[in-house]
Amino acid sequence: MDDGVPTALTLTAALAAVTTLALLLIAPPLAWWLARSRRAFASLVEALVALPLVLPPTVLGFYFLLAMAEDAWLGGAWRALTGQPLAFTFSGLVIASIIYSLPFVSQPLTASFRNTPPELLDAASVMGVGPAVRFLRLMLPLHWRALLAAGVLGFAHTVGEFGIVLMIGGSIPGETRVLSILLFDQVESLDYGSAHFTAGVLLAFSLAALTLTYGVLRRR
Amino acid sequence: MSLRLKGRLQSASGFRLQVDLELPSVGVTALIGASGTGKSTLLRVIAGLERPEGFAVSFNGQRWDALPPHRRPVSMTLQQPALFPHLTVAGNLKAVPGAGRIDEAAARFGLQELLGRKPATLSGGQRQRAALARAYLRPAALWLLDEPLSALDPLARSELAPMLRRLCRALNRPVIYVTHALAEVLQIADHLVIMEAGEVIGAGAPEAVAAALDHPLSPLIDTGGILEAAFESYDSETGLSTLRIGPQRLWVGGDLRGAPSPLRVHIPARDLSLALDRPIRTSILNVLDVTLTGLAPAADGALFAELDCAGQRLCARITRLSQENLGLKPGMTLFALVKSVALDAHSA
Repeated sequence: MDDGVPTALTLTAALAAVTTLALLLIAPPLAWWLARSRRAFASLVEALVALPLVLPPTVLGFYFLLAMAEDAWLGGAWRALTGQPLAFTFSGLVIASIIYSLPFVSQPLTASFRNTPPELLDAASVMGVGPAVRFLRLMLPLHWRALLAAGVLGFAHTVGEFGIVLMIGGSIPGETRVLSILLFDQVESLDYGSAHFTAGVLLAFSLAALTLTYGVLRRR
Repeated sequence: MSLRLKGRLQSASGFRLQVDLELPSVGVTALIGASGTGKSTLLRVIAGLERPEGFAVSFNGQRWDALPPHRRPVSMTLQQPALFPHLTVAGNLKAVPGAGRIDEAAARFGLQELLGRKPATLSGGQRQRAALARAYLRPAALWLLDEPLSALDPLARSELAPMLRRLCRALNRPVIYVTHALAEVLQIADHLVIMEAGEVIGAGAPEAVAAALDHPLSPLIDTGGILEAAFESYDSETGLSTLRIGPQRLWVGGDLRGAPSPLRVHIPARDLSLALDRPIRTSILNVLDVTLTGLAPAADGALFAELDCAGQRLCARITRLSQENLGLKPGMTLFALVKSVALDAHSA
């Protein structure tokens, strides 16, 4: 086994966990707004959120690389705020992953929120429950399956991310060398034995995560 | 002290609602009309679930137009029970802000055994009871009930109807009860509002509304007449109660001892036939002495014969051919054959 695997595994898990946590805070209100808003502006936002689904990751990575440079707006602001650089750091990966995995979390939520029976919203109103409490106390628990599915998809997708990491993270062990990058390096150096193991770990994890999600969604 | 409603609403589908209405803020107001006449929409406007621009809603002098529904002191049951499926019955009750007396509400609506159950495991009647309990728990100045019995099967309806009537009397708060079935509210309504095609076509005390309508309603809500009757006796052998309307007698099925007095008796216009002579050898029990006071055309070419029965007004629906054959003219003394009498014997 390659020495890099445990480090890369820990790093990958940490990146996916932090990203998923952030997404579970950001995506539900965003998805609720997207599901409920009838404004044309909402369509533009929905399209922007969905962009990572269709764009090559290298395109996003390229723009992130530019934005995260020391003298660019994002990199400069981060430096002013934390004193740290963004490009080729773990923090930079987290920010890019949040954008990149956002549609995988927001889309199942938007779809589920759109299916809220309208009489339940009316019922909450005539019970005297205001919009904020209605969302937090009634709608989120009501849509717990979609939240779970969205969380697992976001986590799994972050684990599977490659192109963006390569563009803005490079391959720094313990900082940006996640499993998918490690696999790439192993294949590049013709270490097929280690590559088999790394690829197997990724395959098994992804299959398990998806099976778990679909299993929960199937149960009524 | 009143609920004022004034404004119009035009939906995208072409439906129009236009009202200028003042409802008393005490007692039970029944809002009656065929389906699609806008009564539920009007109720949603009162609750604030619809807030059409320029539609004025004020309660006891307080303007409600700008208030979102959760800020209005209104409690409402929707046409469906609309229980949250991920919560138990108790969870649904506890979700009401300010809900305190959950035990009391559960007892009142017979939910003690069901508190731990999820809505999916309940029958239609049980769900509706849970929805009523949830509405009951909201501290509110006004109660709105949107067809509370319509979605239920007859058995569940007969269980829930008396509970609902007791509740309406016990609430001590104004209730607006939307229904398309006059019989549901006949014994409890203090005030009747009749709607047709998005407009109010009659409002007032039940007897007055039924009598004052020149062209009694759409065929779907056939008021005919609402008569006040006094209970006289009950015969257990025949199972019939005898009621008195002035000097006349009326027999209806069921034991009405202990029913509130005076009883309201509803006779649909299509269930009244007219005869020049008192019919003999007929199975029809109830024959009333009436005087024909007027004839009015109905929408479909038939006639409404307006009748006076011991000082109360009744209306019969007859064909033009019958009118010609009998030579009916206002002022004639006739006999009205009553085919059916609607009256809720379980109202007590």
